[in-house]
Amino acid sequence: MAFNGGSAVSERREILNINGLSAGWGPMRVIHDLDLVVYAGERIGIVGLNGHGKSTLFSAIAGMTDWQRGSIKLNGKEVGGTRSQGPGRYTHLVVRQGLALMPQGDEIFTGLTVEEHLDSGAFTPAAWRDRKARKEKILEIFPPLRKLMSTPVGRLSGGERRMVSLGRGLMSDASLLLVDEPSLGLAPKIGKGVMKALMEIQLGNSAMIIAEQNMALLEGQVDRVIGMHVGKLKGEASTSLAHESRREV
Amino acid sequence: MDIDIGFVAITAVTLACIYGTLAIGVSITWSSLGLINMSYGFTFATSGYGAWLVSEYISSSGPVVILGGILTGALVGVLVCAVAFIPIHDKPNFTVRGLIASLALSLIGTQALLYFFGPQSKTLPPLFGDWELELGEVVLTADKGGAILTSILMLTLALWWMRSSRRGLEIRAMMMNPHAASLVGIGVRRTGFYVMALTGGLAGLASVLLSQTYFVSPFSGVTPLIKGLSVALCGGLGSVGGAMIAAVMIGVNEALTADILGGQYILITQFLLIILVLIIRPRGIAGILDKQREA
Repeated sequence: MAFNGGSAVSERREILNINGLSAGWGPMRVIHDLDLVVYAGERIGIVGLNGHGKSTLFSAIAGMTDWQRGSIKLNGKEVGGTRSQGPGRYTHLVVRQGLALMPQGDEIFTGLTVEEHLDSGAFTPAAWRDRKARKEKILEIFPPLRKLMSTPVGRLSGGERRMVSLGRGLMSDASLLLVDEPSLGLAPKIGKGVMKALMEIQLGNSAMIIAEQNMALLEGQVDRVIGMHVGKLKGEASTSLAHESRREV
Repeated sequence: MDIDIGFVAITAVTLACIYGTLAIGVSITWSSLGLINMSYGFTFATSGYGAWLVSEYISSSGPVVILGGILTGALVGVLVCAVAFIPIHDKPNFTVRGLIASLALSLIGTQALLYFFGPQSKTLPPLFGDWELELGEVVLTADKGGAILTSILMLTLALWWMRSSRRGLEIRAMMMNPHAASLVGIGVRRTGFYVMALTGGLAGLASVLLSQTYFVSPFSGVTPLIKGLSVALCGGLGSVGGAMIAAVMIGVNEALTADILGGQYILITQFLLIILVLIIRPRGIAGILDKQREA
């Protein structure tokens, strides 16, 4: 499993390379000419206010915005390009290329059970074959799910749903994990627990990007923090630096 | 006034099975693809002709003819998917465009059937042999018994496949949240073909079963389309259970009306019943329509 490797990565392999990406919804341009490189083994935090393009950036990587242009290379393979219509048409191909997007608001299948959910996360052929072992791994990360396996997800609480949604994303053999606001709408204590679980996942050869509004939740736990402001990435810092500068203000 | 309860009950169950098969097809198509499939009637009629061709040229044994009908239905379903779903499913305002595209396909297809086979109706050979089963005072004839058994068997098979297989999980995931389905790597287009083949096959089955009572003609799909759609609506689009309950209600109503008032009043009482149900439960019996398509 991708996040089970655990060893430090010596060479800096590029997982994601975004070059000149613009994207938006309808007539609105949300992402403006954005560049970003993510290396294997990295855990990155993207912070920014509501409506500054964090979720749109993730959607664009998955090919789900209304339109987009610019190059997105995932594991060295081009998944971006210019597209003016058909949001989501090629998303499943990007997902098979090694993307796992854990969207804001969970996007669960209300009627499916927790177990079916985890199965549905393993739709890449390799993941489907050893889905039993993978489910065990997920249950180790999120132990409360163990006794809920045959419960329809529509009956779960917000925190449990978040665990299901994250677990579904972790089931596939993804090399890039995009996590959109994992603490959103949860009680602070539960939000912190979810964040802690995310930080404890061994990335191995994969990379993780977490979008978050609450800088304090990321402090000291991610490798880099990047600020996002009106559709552009602004400034980048190691977390210790970000920590210090925040204290100075 | 005396009602022949046994006869009414058997007719009601037969109709419920056939309408249920149709309605489940409509319901699954709507909730997974977001397509109101107006060419369902065309699929129905063409399957009748497919079964007729099989019985004329290959073999007139029951299972072969039924299989011929189901396969024709599945093929037409795939055709409808390729023409009325694939090119437009991610364009704006798909619901209305899809409705019109499938309606157009249905009209063209019906005229084509008229052109190739002529206006004369065809009859299928009796598929279930010639036997009768006496249950107390009630006589279960071969065509009705066969229709009930076959449709229950095929529906169980289809629903079991959707519950247990990987493709079934894909379809169910897409019924519940199409957006999230593509996020976990389910291809909307490929799943579309599976869905349309499955529902087309169900229409083909219903067509062969109903042709034991009615004739196969180019326009024989119109009434089943209306009934399938209204039963699916009444049950709450997107719900298999709701469609089954609604099918039983409509079946009982149709059998009772035919026995008490006469066959010409069936459509009147049927739509009164559906209107009544929709006044009491605007989203249909199981009523999950809006929740399903929100995403």
